[in-house]
Formats: sequence, C-alpha cells, structure tokens
Amino acid sequence: MSQYALELTDVRYRKNQRTILDHVNLQIAPGKTVGLLGENGAGKTTLMRLIASVAKGARGTIAVNQQTRDVQRRALVSFSEGLQGFRSTQKLREIRDFYVRTYPDFSAKKYLDLVTFLQIDDDQRLATLSKGTREKFIIALTLARQAAVYLLDEPFSGIDSMSRRRIISSIIQWKQPEAVLIISDHYVTEIAALLDEVVILKDRTICTHKRSDQIRQEFNLGIEAFYESVYEGSIPDDEL
Amino acid sequence: MQFDDKVPIYYQIENYLYHQIVAGTLQPGAKLPAVRQLAVDLTVNVNTVQRALTEMIRQEILESRRGRGNFVTQDTARITALKHRLITDYIQELYTQLHALRMDDAEIVAAVQHYLQTRGNQA
Repeated sequence: MSQYALELTDVRYRKNQRTILDHVNLQIAPGKTVGLLGENGAGKTTLMRLIASVAKGARGTIAVNQQTRDVQRRALVSFSEGLQGFRSTQKLREIRDFYVRTYPDFSAKKYLDLVTFLQIDDDQRLATLSKGTREKFIIALTLARQAAVYLLDEPFSGIDSMSRRRIISSIIQWKQPEAVLIISDHYVTEIAALLDEVVILKDRTICTHKRSDQIRQEFNLGIEAFYESVYEGSIPDDEL
Repeated sequence: MQFDDKVPIYYQIENYLYHQIVAGTLQPGAKLPAVRQLAVDLTVNVNTVQRALTEMIRQEILESRRGRGNFVTQDTARITALKHRLITDYIQELYTQLHALRMDDAEIVAAVQHYLQTRGNQA
C-alpha cells in the first residue's frame, strides 16, 4: 500500500486538441503543505481540477488515499473553484447550506469558527463581495470540510495584506495534521515559511519537486529566488 | 518574526527560542505555548515548529511531558552550556570576518578593546 496521500502517475491531459499537461508524476505524503508554483497558463488550475475530479478525461492515474475513482476522490478532496456555479444573487448562507447538503464531511462548527475568525458576514450576497472577502469565503468553505486533500488556487491574488495575514493564520490553525494542503501561486515570498515542499510546473509538466529546506540548504536560495532561477533556466536540469 | 528565506526555517526557530532561553525571557521550567499556537505566532507551518522542538528535545534543552506540553529544562547547567555555545558562535563569526581582513589575534583583541572603550565614551 502506498504511503502517499496523493499520487499522480503519468498524468496526461488534452483539451481542444492541445496538450495542457504531460507526463505529470507527483507523490505527496500525508500532512504536507505544498506550494504549487508556475506562471499563468502553466496548468496549475487544470492540475487542481483534475485532482478534484472537476475536470475529467485525463490519462494516467490520480490516487487520493489510494482511491482513484472520481466519486471517491471527490469525497476526499476539498476544492472550491472560484465559487463557480453559484448565482451572484445568492447569499453566502445559502451557499453554506448547499455545502452542508452536498458534503457529509462539512463541519458547521468549523465553518462558523472560520467565518468568525476571517470576519465574514455571511448574510451578504455573492455579488456584493470584495475580492478579499470572496477569497476568505472560499477559504472558509474549503477548510470547513474534513478532507484528506485541500486545494487552494491562488488564494492571495489581489487582496490586501491584512486579509492575507488572516488567511495564512486560518490555514495554520485549521488544517488537520494529517491533511495535505496544496496552495498554488506565482508569488511566494509571503507564504514561503508555510511550505514543506515546492512543486514547480513549467512547460506542461512538473519540472521540479523539492523540500523547502532542501532548496535552502542545497541551493542556498530562498523559495522565490529558486522559483525564478528555475524559470530562467539558470539551474541545470540535472540538478533539479 | 521575520525569517531569512535562504536559511531553513526550523533552524531559525530553534535559534530564536535558544535566545529567549539564554536571555531569560523563557525561564528554566517554563512551559512553551502549544505547537499550533507557536506556528500561528511565528506564521510558519506546524511541521516546521515541531521539527525545531524535536531537535531541542533531542538536545535536552526542552523536555516533553506527555499530554502536558513542552517545558524548558530545569537543569541550569544545560542552559549555561547553551549560552556558551551561542557566545562561541558569535565570536567565531566575528573572528572569521576580522581574520579575513588579515588581522592577527593581537590586532583583533586590541580592536575589540578599543571598540568597548570608545563605545563606553559615546554612551
């Protein structure tokens, strides 16, 4: 039996006759917080959609706690992709109710703790939310489930530093010890201290996957500097 | 706390706590905050804090009591030894820098003494 919470084996994905992801192999142990880095269009969101079984039709296998089938995986992965599918006139409470009905592992208590901590008024309508509140609401919904794998897609883009700090604190406080958390971004300095591991997507595949401490010790680089070096091609492939 | 992103974070947390212990901010026998609380305070992940604490327990600077948390050792000899280790580290660093300027031992001692005297005048 695999000791990994998340295991991707030779995953390939094409859409509209274009290769989006190719030969993606990835193994993540339970409990790890992982930064998924890559430029816009590198395939970060697609990879998350595939892991969460929102996007289908990939070749290869994706296993979450050894479960490879879509239905089982959906039950184990918490991913609230940009609140897609909800009407802008819906109140946040109604979206919460949908989550309660849809996901048996959704904890109303955890949700309440999170919206309180993140200072979200869930009597508002979706359309009235600022970018920051929207991201915070997504975090609350995502983390309120008791999942094996949590996926956060660029949770910090375009939000102020106070909200950012609150989001980071909520992640540290509410992630269960055994759960895997994957955070995608293309700007890492503020979350660098959170990451156990770093995965870099480039040219439709994972070009490197390293422990944060390994990056600091072996390359004598910060995470951001390492990421930039990888993209500039200034680190030889055989060292990655 | 601001971290240097080029140095392993667990190592920086260890050093941060060693300083607090040597400076007496954390007294012998004091209970440390819970791991999760430390992680929130330092804005790092729980695994990283745990790794730093595990190393400190291995070095017997901290004592882990099952179900009760982590405590600073009551053994003051250990804390004194830790203090000497920190002092040696700092002096080593200073010495390496000055030695690189081609100063010999006598010049380094003289420079340190001169610094202490003039600093006293300025204060």
